[in-house]
Amino acid sequence: MGVSTDHHLALAAWQKDQKSKQLLLSDFRRQMLPAYDAMQTDQASPVYRYAKRAYFIIDKSGTVKFIKVMDSPLNLLEPAEVLAAVKAAAP
Amino acid sequence: FAAVALEVGQKAPDFSLNGTDGKPVKLSDLTAKGPVVIYTFIAAFTPT
Repeated sequence: MGVSTDHHLALAAWQKDQKSKQLLLSDFRRQMLPAYDAMQTDQASPVYRYAKRAYFIIDKSGTVKFIKVMDSPLNLLEPAEVLAAVKAAAP
Repeated sequence: FAAVALEVGQKAPDFSLNGTDGKPVKLSDLTAKGPVVIYTFIAAFTPT
């Protein structure tokens, strides 16, 4: 599932535009992202509070199994790496 | 006269986020069904 700080209506419009069925969730109130250390801020601008590009895998018991916070939003993980981590999290 | 980074192996903090229909979705309700991959991104309608 994807999480960003967008309003849920923006995510809904984007989902429709992309014809995607991916689950998208809005952390508009910026509660989850700081707790997951996945929020980018800028001291020069208090309104700059956006999600970093990051990957988390949480297993069925609610335990964090994988964390990868990218240095740049332009960097993506290889899908194979994510899939391997998912397989490791699912007994 | 007045303190935490998430690590592998820790219990994931539970939050309620809004789905695209505006309804709240609890992370724990999703993980209860099986492993969940959370992917965070800057913003909709952008390449990143």
